[in-house]
Amino acid sequence: MLQRQRTFWICICMALIVMGVFNLLPFYWMLSSSFKTEAEVASYPATLIPKLWTIGAYSKIWFQEKFVYYFLNSLIVSMSTATFSSLVGAFAAYGFSRFRFKGKTLTMTLFLASQMIPGVLLVGPYFKMLSLVGLYNTLLGLILSQITITLPFSIWMLKGYIDTVPTEIDQAAMVDGASRTRTFLMVVLPGILPGLVATVIFAFLLSWGDLLWALCLISAKSKQTLTLGITQLVGEFRTEWSTIMAATVIATMVPATLYLLLQNFLIKGFTESAVKG
Amino acid sequence: MLKRTYWVCLIVMVFSVSLIGTVVKAQEVKISYSDWQLAQDIWGRSLREAIAEFERLNPGIKVEDEPVALAQRDVKFTTAIRAGAGPDVFALDVNPVKQYIKEGWVKDLTPFIEKEGGQQWLSDFYPRSLMPVTEDNKIYGIPKNIVAMVMVYNSQLFKEAGIKSLPKNWKEYREVCKKLTKATKPKGPVDQWGVAFVLAKACFDLRFSVVLRGFGGDFLAPDWKHSALNTPEAKEAFNYVVELILKDKVMPPGVTQVDCNEARRLLAFKKTAMKIGTMWSITEVSGMNPDLRGWEVLEMFPIPQKEGVKSKIRSTLYQKSIFMNPNTKHPEAAWKLIKFLTDKKQMEKWFIDNNMLSCRKSVNNTYGPILQSKYASIVTKEIENAAFLPLIPQWPECLETFRQNLQAAIAKQKTADQALTDAHNQIEAILTRK
Amino acid sequence: MRIQDRHKCYFFILPAFLLLVSILGFPAIAAILQSFNLVWVSKPSFSLSSYGRLFNDIEFLTSLINTFIFVSTTVSFHLLIGLGVALLLNMEMKRRHFFRVIAILPWTVPDVIGGLIWKFIFDTLPGFVNGVLIRGRFLAEPIDFLGTPLLAFLCFIFAEVWRGYPFVMLILLAGLQAIPRHQYEAGAIDGASTIQSFLYITLPNLKYMVVIAVILDTIWECRLFGMVYSMTGGGPGYSSQVLSLLTYKHYFQFFNTSYAASIAVVLAVFMLIISIPYLRMTMRREV
Repeated sequence: MLQRQRTFWICICMALIVMGVFNLLPFYWMLSSSFKTEAEVASYPATLIPKLWTIGAYSKIWFQEKFVYYFLNSLIVSMSTATFSSLVGAFAAYGFSRFRFKGKTLTMTLFLASQMIPGVLLVGPYFKMLSLVGLYNTLLGLILSQITITLPFSIWMLKGYIDTVPTEIDQAAMVDGASRTRTFLMVVLPGILPGLVATVIFAFLLSWGDLLWALCLISAKSKQTLTLGITQLVGEFRTEWSTIMAATVIATMVPATLYLLLQNFLIKGFTESAVKG
Repeated sequence: MLKRTYWVCLIVMVFSVSLIGTVVKAQEVKISYSDWQLAQDIWGRSLREAIAEFERLNPGIKVEDEPVALAQRDVKFTTAIRAGAGPDVFALDVNPVKQYIKEGWVKDLTPFIEKEGGQQWLSDFYPRSLMPVTEDNKIYGIPKNIVAMVMVYNSQLFKEAGIKSLPKNWKEYREVCKKLTKATKPKGPVDQWGVAFVLAKACFDLRFSVVLRGFGGDFLAPDWKHSALNTPEAKEAFNYVVELILKDKVMPPGVTQVDCNEARRLLAFKKTAMKIGTMWSITEVSGMNPDLRGWEVLEMFPIPQKEGVKSKIRSTLYQKSIFMNPNTKHPEAAWKLIKFLTDKKQMEKWFIDNNMLSCRKSVNNTYGPILQSKYASIVTKEIENAAFLPLIPQWPECLETFRQNLQAAIAKQKTADQALTDAHNQIEAILTRK
Repeated sequence: MRIQDRHKCYFFILPAFLLLVSILGFPAIAAILQSFNLVWVSKPSFSLSSYGRLFNDIEFLTSLINTFIFVSTTVSFHLLIGLGVALLLNMEMKRRHFFRVIAILPWTVPDVIGGLIWKFIFDTLPGFVNGVLIRGRFLAEPIDFLGTPLLAFLCFIFAEVWRGYPFVMLILLAGLQAIPRHQYEAGAIDGASTIQSFLYITLPNLKYMVVIAVILDTIWECRLFGMVYSMTGGGPGYSSQVLSLLTYKHYFQFFNTSYAASIAVVLAVFMLIISIPYLRMTMRREV
């Protein structure tokens, strides 16, 4: 019995290592390239460990390229998009999950179908609309347009999670005198915290990695997002590989930290509220 | 309570976000200038200095610079201009200009030029430079820089390989390439190649075309209404390049992904000894690798020409011009900026900063540093032997079709002849479509 | 006036509905009209010629097939790997938060930049893979990954599998966490083995999240073009061209707006057709 458990855990360990290596190998490449000089980055065959370590790429990002602004802009836009679309989406998902009404299937399908139109075609009309209301070249305009992409996906995801919470729980809460809204916020939502976290991260990353909207809806350099800033490092005459790698490494640390924080918050909340029997 | 906190947070968030997005209205005239070279190190700095000088000379006009990556430039510009906005003044290379003119995305500058003195004011520009920006006798942009493509080579590597004379025709060129392709370490793998042509999308147009023209052929017929890829010259050029890669192996492996940045990098780090380039190659390649001592070892020679070819044209022209947005709210200020950026003094500064030739005859022919530059003397002469690529709206699509077929031939998906015939037929279809 | 409970649904759905209709409505219609050459062009005139041209275009036909292969392969692998890793990370173990963060790392890389990085990794001369192969003396000459038609396509699929599987993994992990513990306990009491509890407890509970994950991932993979744009640009030739990238090219590089719109409409129809069976599965649950 103990032997079987041990082999089981050894297999698990190995699986974890395989997953870790699979995921992290490109990151290793990014990290090592970010510490190389441009000359070494171009060498053939590639060097796996930098021969000459330099933090030139990082200092360039910090001082020269004004990445701090891009970083803050991205943070504001992505956090707003994630929060707003998750909250509005959660409300809508609850409505779709718990109620039956005419046109429900149609509305849900339409929401999803709206995502089947590629962004390429939508950017132009979005631009026109936003400039008509004066939101062109504003972070708010960018947030609104990104929400329209994250929202349908969020609704579908959240509805799936809310569906796993039995309606009896709702009934029990309402019998105890809670309103629908209260039931939703205090009873159902805490029950799907992992799903909510997943949805928030999803919306955050969608916004974080967006290029097309940030490119077309923002013109001022000071309002650019991080992803846009990184792609500008591929210039007409030079591609600054080590700088691109360094910037990407820094960029990926934010969503990772966010996920870690949300998970910790989740664990505390989860163990504290005994929802699932 | 939770609900109230939620609403409060939401409102605070929206409010603070919109504050950030608010544009402060200034008393002065504000115009924006967008250029992909603003995103580069040295070029961007040079442009910003020029803009600062302009603001100094024109108090009351503020210029906001908007850099954009070259690959994203048309996406950004066309989306904005289509919707009635966009930068007041912007720069374009020659490729999409005809499309912009056709769609009405650039303003007709003829009235402004008339006020400056019309033909007399224009006479300082090369007539050739005005061709891409003119349509129906209306001028839509002012040319800034023009260069012709030549062959840039590492004279040190040439000396080491024992090459005594520069190749004048393609046969000699092939021999030279073969001599330069070798292993630099004894018993090591081949790690130095003769040349790397640009076969990826970025900057393909300028490079490959010189080979076609060097053989006396071209992509399209002189009237730009038909494909010229079925001529024996085009066939010879196409097969020549495919053989250089597949049979002689004088180009590095993976050459189908080499774009212009990669080609410069290969030259900078001595992986190749030659590249098709021009004035900026010297600056950029030298800047990439100081150990190369580029300004000393890099030299140029004109594109080889097949013996017996009568045509004078063997190279391709690159030009950057400045345009005005038809949606601009400050045309007068915008015109002042365009005039400033293309005047003599700015052209001279542009050469000092970036080693680029001007579109003004007076600058190229009389400015001291240009006359003394060993590179400028070759490239200026080559301008006479070079022509623009077809200036038609369908050109980007035709070029991409050709490039895809060339890649297919090199990847051995098709034979070279099959690929060329396919390219010819597809381009004919594109041209007869519209 | 007390609102009846069953009418409260409108209160919940209205914000999302209004937001989407007001912002997305006009662009969506404009996009479709574009394909009929009616808006956004210099000389509008209704015409179906764009659609007619599609079927004579080899590049379009190749892209259609490529898109199908790419999406089905990528989503399948996402599901397999995602489910496996989700199961792994759902277990009680030390530092599982640390591993969970590692698990989502590939997805944090934006697609355009991911494409650049993978291009670099597979690059012939300075690339990582060739570097390992040559320094490890497995090969004498580098492999031209991105210049060989089939390899380029495979590398692109591999890169997208790497980048996108955490999406499915995250959805499924959250779904796993929602399965009530008591079901497993009851199963253990009844003497179920690990495999049995997986088949009879885990999978049925997870079924709808799997379907949702597949639908969303399919739509997502159909839409994206950043990875392939940076990695191969659709090449060599059109061996790695997909419909989303083709739309982008025609719209922004060749300025063929109505042709691009018609390709996009075909892609949208394609997505609808693929997702309909899954959609019906979730909708059936409503009864």
